[in-house]
Amino acid sequence: MAEGTFIFMVKRTVVSTGPVEPGKFCHLSVLDRLMEQNQVKIVYYYPSRADVEPGEWIEKLGDSFASAITNFPIITGRLQKNTEGHWIVKCNDGGVRMMEAKVKGSVEDWLKNVDREKELKLVYWEDMSPKPYYWSTFYLQVTEFENGGLAIGLSCTHLLADPICATMFFKAWADTTLSGIMSTPPFFYSLPLSKADNKNPNQGSYTDLIDYYKSSIERPTPLITNQKYATITLSFTDPMVRDCIAMAQATGASDKSRSLAFEALAALFWVCLSKIKGTNGRLLKMSLCSDMRNVLGLDQRFFGNCMVYNKVHLESAGENMLPEASKAIGEVMKKMNAEGIKDLIYWLQCNDNQTVPLMNGYDFMCANLEGVNPYLATFKDRIEPLRVSYYVEPVTGPGQVLIFRSAPGEGPLSRVAMATLPEDEAAKLCEDDLIQRFSPTVLMGTNKN
Amino acid sequence: MPPILPDFSSSVKLKYVKLGYQYLVNHILTLMLIPVMAGILIQVLRLGPEEIVNLWKSLHFDLVQILCSCFFVIFIATVYFMSKPRSIYLVDYACYKPPVTCRVPFATFMEHSRLILNNNPKSVEFQMRILERSGLGEETCLPPAIHYIPPAPTMEASRGEAEVVIFSAMDSLFKKTGLKPKDIDILIVNCSLFSPTPSLSAMVINKYKLRSNIKSFNLSGMGCSAGLISIDLARDLLQVHPNSNAVVVSTEIITPNYYKGNERAMLLPNCLFRMGGAAILLSNRGSERWRAKYRLVHVVRTHKGADDKAYRCVFEEEDKEGKVGISLSKDLMAIAGEALKSNITTIGPLVLPTSEQLLFLLTLIGRKIFNPKWKPYIPDFKQAFEHFCIHAGGRAVIDELQKNLQLSAEHVEASRMTLHRFGNTSSSSLWYEMSYIEAKGRMKKGDRIWQIAFGSGFKCNSAVWKCNRTIKTPRDGPWMDCIDRYPVYIPEVVKL
Repeated sequence: MAEGTFIFMVKRTVVSTGPVEPGKFCHLSVLDRLMEQNQVKIVYYYPSRADVEPGEWIEKLGDSFASAITNFPIITGRLQKNTEGHWIVKCNDGGVRMMEAKVKGSVEDWLKNVDREKELKLVYWEDMSPKPYYWSTFYLQVTEFENGGLAIGLSCTHLLADPICATMFFKAWADTTLSGIMSTPPFFYSLPLSKADNKNPNQGSYTDLIDYYKSSIERPTPLITNQKYATITLSFTDPMVRDCIAMAQATGASDKSRSLAFEALAALFWVCLSKIKGTNGRLLKMSLCSDMRNVLGLDQRFFGNCMVYNKVHLESAGENMLPEASKAIGEVMKKMNAEGIKDLIYWLQCNDNQTVPLMNGYDFMCANLEGVNPYLATFKDRIEPLRVSYYVEPVTGPGQVLIFRSAPGEGPLSRVAMATLPEDEAAKLCEDDLIQRFSPTVLMGTNKN
Repeated sequence: MPPILPDFSSSVKLKYVKLGYQYLVNHILTLMLIPVMAGILIQVLRLGPEEIVNLWKSLHFDLVQILCSCFFVIFIATVYFMSKPRSIYLVDYACYKPPVTCRVPFATFMEHSRLILNNNPKSVEFQMRILERSGLGEETCLPPAIHYIPPAPTMEASRGEAEVVIFSAMDSLFKKTGLKPKDIDILIVNCSLFSPTPSLSAMVINKYKLRSNIKSFNLSGMGCSAGLISIDLARDLLQVHPNSNAVVVSTEIITPNYYKGNERAMLLPNCLFRMGGAAILLSNRGSERWRAKYRLVHVVRTHKGADDKAYRCVFEEEDKEGKVGISLSKDLMAIAGEALKSNITTIGPLVLPTSEQLLFLLTLIGRKIFNPKWKPYIPDFKQAFEHFCIHAGGRAVIDELQKNLQLSAEHVEASRMTLHRFGNTSSSSLWYEMSYIEAKGRMKKGDRIWQIAFGSGFKCNSAVWKCNRTIKTPRDGPWMDCIDRYPVYIPEVVKL
């Protein structure tokens, strides 16, 4: 059998270790309900270790996962529609589906040749069945590499979790294997509302955000075409990111709610991809997706969707594309303040309709996942993940780029960017001059020789 | 329905009459002896001390006579002690507590059922209805192989389950009793549906390196009452072999027996049977008398296999699609009732107090001679036993027995709570129930316990134990972490 082939894959259900109180329900917020059509997929790779028996890790991880999900009844529950036709989670203790798999070769070899298609095989996902009451909302896949190493794939419906809280959940699970107790238990509460409930939602300081959501909801869902996508993972070290920030002349370092690294890198991708997609000197339509937990004053452990999309536009840029792009992004990020988000939430609650848009399917999407560090998820042996990959599926339209932190040892500003684009554009991205100026490491390429 | 208030005054009078009658008949010998003794004492006192001394001197004691009388007395005493059956003590027992990761809540069971039987919604509905009314709780456990979709019942997984269950129970038993593996003289393992080669008893001997001259037995195919059959076998062997220890392991291995078809009569065991096992140490050594928990008083076995209907009522066979499963017939409860009646008829005279036996005899004579329409008198077994352990075969079995024997809710609490927490663990369920009673601190010295088990065949077996010493609430055992939550209220139908 060739390296990288699956030796077996079996499915089972992992149940929480403590029974759930009967009759409990979890309600979903307006931000949650908008994300029904998407899924979050995360892959964690762990290195080979000499002292582990084959199959031992799978069993231990299954057992520790069972005790971790006891603290998250929303994960083990099942979706149901309430009287208003909205999704709610009935905490019925159904459990989480788990796939156990084994692959030939070692994890290090796998990582040398991996691409989007292969990596997605490490994460199991089933679309919502016609009877959602029997459909697991979370899926865990533990893949053992025959010659050493481990890959853990976590996927879930975006209806219940965004990549930030999925990462927090994973870390909480890893923590339970270290010390037996969960050091970061989740917080479940509803999103904050505007103070003045009778405020006219159209009279806000920032209506652009609301307009963007309004247009997203009203436009038809883009069809999923046969377009094949490829994902490129680029790793930018600390000095590379500093260069980028300098080049983008991103300012406002004292404003803690803004991230210069994200703004600079987002601007970089915006400019490069506009060139690749051939928009004739104008920058392509891009939307930003950012975590609003800090802005709304919520704890980082808030479980649920708290990422907000907004459009950034720049009609045309002159010679200094990068700095102007960065400035435009900075302005949009500044305007996404607590009041604006609360107004948006209020507007969404008042204008409740049943259509569910595909938030990331129209414009090119750039997501900021810097709020969490996935490399902190070390299991019992205190070994850091070799690599972490994020996917927000399904990808349609122009594509997306997700920017998140790299391993702590590489510096506070080092970042990893995963760009999912149509195949031909992905190939061009690696060779783009502007990107090459920062010479990032290509962790995952298109693999087509 | 509001309870109809009984007529208090008359029922209280009746109660006192009953109590008086029972006291009179049960202690008749004492009551007759007391006046006789009193009479003799009065006579003796009247005689005065010198008269007594004279009486004593007049008895001419001859040395030969004295010796002969002594020998005679010693001879009778020896014959008596030699022919008395040896006392069998239950030193201690240990029940297997499955790990929480094997837990199967209702929702998971139903989902799996739906995913595996997706072409047969009717069968899934049927299973759901059974589960709702089963009396099981959300903490019962199935072995890991059954958690897979589809289940993976390989030989290796079955052996794995057997090893985990049996070895855990035995390790626990060794720890509790301080027994050394080399001291086991008799080993009996019973597991009805899984019978590999070499046997499970050989597996135990191999693991613990037991002696080469051990007397080992492996009972398979004997159903849920096999636990008591093993106890009976151990008792018989301990009569023959003096100064011996016998270990009995009762379990049921679920992995190979998960029914994968959709015949309704065969789906029932899937819903009820769960992982469990127990290891029991029996001994006839005099030295164990002080620390043994119980003494075995009676074992009564009743087999209704001669009747065809009883023989076929729990039958393992292939369904129309060739899948093997255990089919339960519709008249199971009726046959169980018959078997129980048979068993009670045998055990009644052995355990019931004289008052009840007399009443039963009188009613029997009355029915035969005077009027056949008289209601048969059901003896009140509550007077013969303090605790009842009814095999947790299913809610229907416990309900039926509660009705037939007129037991209160507290008497059947151990059985119902065991069914709720552990499910139907087959032959080991009786031991979980005993453990429940001990954990609740209800077991006192001198208490009598009646264990009743039904099994395929159709068999009804009973064992009667007497508590040897008051048992302090144990700090370990399967109920350790959840006893405070019990008893729970179990609704008729749990809405899934």
